[in-house]
Amino acid sequence: MCSVGGPMDVELAERLKGKKYRCNDCGTTFEAVGKHPVCPSCQSENVTLV
Amino acid sequence: MRYDLKEGNLLLKGKNSFILIGRAKRLFILFIETFEKELCQTVREDDLIAVSAPEGGDPRQAFMLLELIREYNMPVMVLPKGHPGSGRLNMVVSAGPEIIPGCGIMRGTHPEQNVICASEEFSGFSFYSDGGFVRIESGLLGRVADNSGMNIDIVRIPDSELRY
Ligand SMILES: [Zn+2]
Repeated sequence: MCSVGGPMDVELAERLKGKKYRCNDCGTTFEAVGKHPVCPSCQSENVTLV
Repeated sequence: MRYDLKEGNLLLKGKNSFILIGRAKRLFILFIETFEKELCQTVREDDLIAVSAPEGGDPRQAFMLLELIREYNMPVMVLPKGHPGSGRLNMVVSAGPEIIPGCGIMRGTHPEQNVICASEEFSGFSFYSDGGFVRIESGLLGRVADNSGMNIDIVRIPDSELRY
């Protein structure tokens, strides 16, 4: 990931593919990158890949 | 090379560019906003936040950027390619347990890892979070030092020295 304060280099950004998750505690769906997805609404780690 | 980040930041100074590395300090979600979607990246307390200034500049600006991300959780934006604004942005940010400067031969070789735009001076370097420390690997350091006279100075700087 290469992002600016501001923006980022799109050649790299195109590789930035997230995975979609649903929070089992509050129902929020979100797209996350990285190995430790956490719900952006309630900070729960109890999330499922959808 | 392993440096303690608990008391401050690490400034890696090349001839015309630099990279400032700090520790996230606490868990937060970094929001990455692209034209069509939002990506969430969990940043954990020992993860690294790196600010790269490929054309150099004021390290205090880099520190502000670092603070905007880790203290104030400012989202980062992704501009579409060719956007006239990209040329005005002289510093880039990356966060995670490992950060690879994206220059020369490193580019595209680590699709699963964090890549940060940097100048050629940082070719071959990689940074890893290591329990409050940063571990710096520099595969090409020997060759660089022998052949081109390029050198990176590594300086430890506390937050207080980077604030206005
Ligand atoms: Zn939730």
